Amino acid sequence: MRRKGKNGALLLVYTLVIFVLASVLFFSHALQREAALVLKDAPEIIVQRTQAGRYHPIPVAWGAQIGRINGVISVRPRLWGYQYDSVFLANYTLTVPAEHAPPAGSIDVGSGIARMRGASVDDIIAFAGHDGLARSYSIRDVLSGESQLLTSDLILLSEEDYRDFSGLPADQATDLALRVRNPREYATIAEKITKLYPDTRPILRSEILRTYDAVFGWRSGLLIVIFSAAALAFVIFAWDKATGLSAEERKEIGILKAVGWETSDILLMKFWEGTVVSLTAFLVGIILAYAHVFWTSSPLFAPVLKGWSTLYPAFRLTPFLDFGQISALFFLTVVPYTVTTIVPSWRAAIIDPDTVMR
Amino acid sequence: MISARDISKVFNAGRPSEFTALNGVSLDLRLHETTVLKGPSGSGKTTLLALMGCMSRPSTGRIFLKDREITSLPERFLTEVRRSTFGFVFQQFNLIKGISALENVMAPAYPTGEKFSLLRARALASLEMFNLGKRADAKVEWLSGGEAQRVAIARALINNPAVIIADEPTAHLDTRLAHEFIGIMAQLKARGTTIILASHDPIVYDSDLADRVVEMRDGQVIGAGNRA
Repeated sequence: MRRKGKNGALLLVYTLVIFVLASVLFFSHALQREAALVLKDAPEIIVQRTQAGRYHPIPVAWGAQIGRINGVISVRPRLWGYQYDSVFLANYTLTVPAEHAPPAGSIDVGSGIARMRGASVDDIIAFAGHDGLARSYSIRDVLSGESQLLTSDLILLSEEDYRDFSGLPADQATDLALRVRNPREYATIAEKITKLYPDTRPILRSEILRTYDAVFGWRSGLLIVIFSAAALAFVIFAWDKATGLSAEERKEIGILKAVGWETSDILLMKFWEGTVVSLTAFLVGIILAYAHVFWTSSPLFAPVLKGWSTLYPAFRLTPFLDFGQISALFFLTVVPYTVTTIVPSWRAAIIDPDTVMR
Repeated sequence: MISARDISKVFNAGRPSEFTALNGVSLDLRLHETTVLKGPSGSGKTTLLALMGCMSRPSTGRIFLKDREITSLPERFLTEVRRSTFGFVFQQFNLIKGISALENVMAPAYPTGEKFSLLRARALASLEMFNLGKRADAKVEWLSGGEAQRVAIARALINNPAVIIADEPTAHLDTRLAHEFIGIMAQLKARGTTIILASHDPIVYDSDLADRVVEMRDGQVIGAGNRA
């Protein structure tokens, strides 16, 4: 490689910018996809009870009334909540599963919790309940779900244990999960529920999806804005490096013209030079971003993009490439760069070759 | 025959810095001969070489190469004529830094589309001819003055030109290297190559190499004569 310093610096900065932009794209897109996958099996409508606009446990008996609304296939009271562990400074998600719940006294824990507490199957693990008293459970299983994003900080337990742990009375639930077959009935059913129980808040799955999209979109947008500053700096840098042909380069072009190169030959050479630099940077940047996001769990972005919990899930996103996005990135970086290298070369290449003799 | 008919060359025309480098020059140069353009700096030698070598066009007048008028050719055709007919040796050799001697020699032939392996073999043979085979892969900035000069000549010869044009070729050479250059040119001349040199070095214009010396001053030819 000629002009090692200049081309090396250019390649480095170029690769860095591609790496950052591609990482943000890969990451936010994979997260959105992950969320969509997770929500695929979520209930169509969730009914929460509110009191003065704040969340409140819902009476289990309301489920029977709601279940009679036309179009509702089933209603299931759900029990779930959060638990802050002041010793490990982490939040856990407690859930009573609909099926295959552990027997009383046993729990299933997410891999994040098992990792942090150094616990494995059949170990006894203790948590402080709502009254401050510790309760011990035997670990039945360590969850290794496909989406670690969701299962990392999860504790699955029996209804009996949950009520004992949280102090939630037997006639109340966290919320009600409804299954509805016809998507066109969602809005009508939600309306009927609020008429029936004005202090409830029905949440549609499509709304949750939209919120996820908005949150991840907003966050990745935030990152994009920050890094667009970096991209702008790169553009200025590239423009300066690529367009400002040095006296030596101008002389070279003059020599090549003098020894029989046409303007088009020089442009072709410069085009390939620019293409090699930008394609190399693009490919290396994309590969690094892929490794960063899908192999090493995005250590650079996790604090910004992965939520507020103290217990960051050590999850690996399912590799997913959107060729539309990659091509957009390509056309926004490689093409402009190649053009910026061609224009000044063209200006230098149209000079008379006899300048090298003067 | 290369003929110049009443050619003038004006730089920066219409500007305060307007400068007339050549003024009404007419000249006939015979093929297979060596012609030396002699004269002080600023006399117009280099400009005349550039015009005859199809590197630029005259402001007025016409140039003929073997009876073909080349002054009005479009750039593409002019480049083609330049590439196929002329080989240039520049005052400071003008080798391209950062690439090897071999790549420098091959450079003028890249646009011809010749097969790379054949071109490389020819360029190597050319370097061998000048005892530079072992320096083929050396970067040009590592070469000595004499080696750089020979690489420049090898480059000028890569497209088998009928005419070698050299501008002040001995200006940066010591006496020994200047004589070496004259020797190489003599060999080329013996093979029938036409040589046009611009020089104000007596080693060049007083050498046996020169068949004809054209004396220039202030952009005009003030004398031309065949040497005995």
